[in-house]
Amino acid sequence: MLATLKQILSENWQWRHQIWDLAKIDLVKTYRGAALGKVWLFTKPAVYILVYWFTLSFGMRSGHDVNGQPFLLWLATGVFPWFFMSDAINTGSDVYHRYSYLVNRLKFPLSVISTFYTLSLMIIFACTMGFTIAVCLLFGVHISRYVIQLPLVMAIMFVFWVAWSIMLSPLGAVSKDFANLVKTLSTPFFWLSGILFQLSSLPEVFRRIMAFNPVAWCVEAVRDCFVYKEWFWQRPDELVPFLIVFLVVVVLALRNFQRLYKEVPDVL
Amino acid sequence: MSSKILTPVIDYGDATIIRDEDRENPIAVRFEHVRKTYKLYKNDRQRLLASFSKRVKCDTINASDDLTFTCRRGEALALLGDNGAGKSTALKMITGVCFPTSGTIEVHGRVSALLELSAGFDMRLSGMENIQLRCQLWGLSKQESEELIPSIVDFSELGKYIDQPMRTYSSGMRARLGFAFASSIRPDILVVDEALSVGDRKFSAKCKKRVSSIMEKENVTVLFVTHSTSQAKQFCTRGIVLSHGKTLFSGGIDEAVEFYENT
Repeated sequence: MLATLKQILSENWQWRHQIWDLAKIDLVKTYRGAALGKVWLFTKPAVYILVYWFTLSFGMRSGHDVNGQPFLLWLATGVFPWFFMSDAINTGSDVYHRYSYLVNRLKFPLSVISTFYTLSLMIIFACTMGFTIAVCLLFGVHISRYVIQLPLVMAIMFVFWVAWSIMLSPLGAVSKDFANLVKTLSTPFFWLSGILFQLSSLPEVFRRIMAFNPVAWCVEAVRDCFVYKEWFWQRPDELVPFLIVFLVVVVLALRNFQRLYKEVPDVL
Repeated sequence: MSSKILTPVIDYGDATIIRDEDRENPIAVRFEHVRKTYKLYKNDRQRLLASFSKRVKCDTINASDDLTFTCRRGEALALLGDNGAGKSTALKMITGVCFPTSGTIEVHGRVSALLELSAGFDMRLSGMENIQLRCQLWGLSKQESEELIPSIVDFSELGKYIDQPMRTYSSGMRARLGFAFASSIRPDILVVDEALSVGDRKFSAKCKKRVSSIMEKENVTVLFVTHSTSQAKQFCTRGIVLSHGKTLFSGGIDEAVEFYENT
């Protein structure tokens, strides 16, 4: 297992220049053919945020300020990370089908596909975070010093979702059923992970369980930076369960990769 | 960069792969008792279950079975055989896109492959972007690829189409671009799978000329898979006849062709 870890790390290190180029090309591809191009990066999340905001504020009358910060900011800091994670769950879990020509036509290390795809999602996520900060500054919303933990949070999210992709992609390549199963899970993840409601309003039992949900942890960590104004390591009752899940994902990723990476080119 | 950085010896369970950039090595490619087993499951569910439990049963088929041959530096070797003889599997293992189940494979030098020519392109990118991407993956610097790209575009005869998305290309156009790329990047070992039979007569003649000039000028080793014995005779000096994953015959091209045609 350690040998697999070493193999994955050294592959990623050797191909580091290409990783960046491939991530950029993935972005180009996603927004290819659209006259507005990059504008779509922001349009889709912006429309969703406005719709949620309308529904929650006026429809359900629950859009109060959170911790003295505007409700819209609270919403944006949940929905932007969710867009990153929803792509990581949907496409990231089956990334070999997206890049089948890198698997069985060219000699290319499989683990690197997960890395550069997640990186391309990360670039979009970083842009939306930059956008959020810019809007806050423009409208005079107070940004505290806690925002400096954001790069660290993003780095943790990056590594976690790369490991997630390495864990599930070999299974997704082997079985279409499995890829569909993971996609089906993405909607429950959205509604259960406290993206549209405050986790603190949950009963104690559910809060304990929710601490093992990585999506919920990521969203809360991003909100720590902007809204809750806390360091994410200040709440070990949430951090420790997340780290346990992280470890399990890494171990399973190594196991699945080791067992299946030789078989993936044969079945794709 | 792609193959320069590979660890020279990789041990995949029962199989050993030795891969380096040593173009001075008198041996270009060597297969020793190589076996490639494909697992055939009844359906995808069985295959998924098999990744969790070792008790799931499956059929196996040996695409390569105790395959042994050597290809020396600068040689042009033809792989002859009927469909299903394991020619393409052997080439795929040389390029490194699939892994042997057991045995030893040695590859010395950088391999450029023309496997099913049109493949290896991203259909949503334009021809030009695909070529740039492939140059990066091959490990060329920006300057090197800028020097190389005009000649690739020129050879492919795609003209203005080069900036159109690849999915709008005809199969002939993809094949032309594929051949132009694979033959322009100065590989040490060139693997050609049925490549020269695509395209119109004029382009096919151009390809043949290119392959011969590559073989004459540089110290390039060529592995050539074909059904066409006349092409094999034209290019190759040695031939191997494969059947059911095994080497039936190995020797001079004329004898190999004769052997193949008589069985």
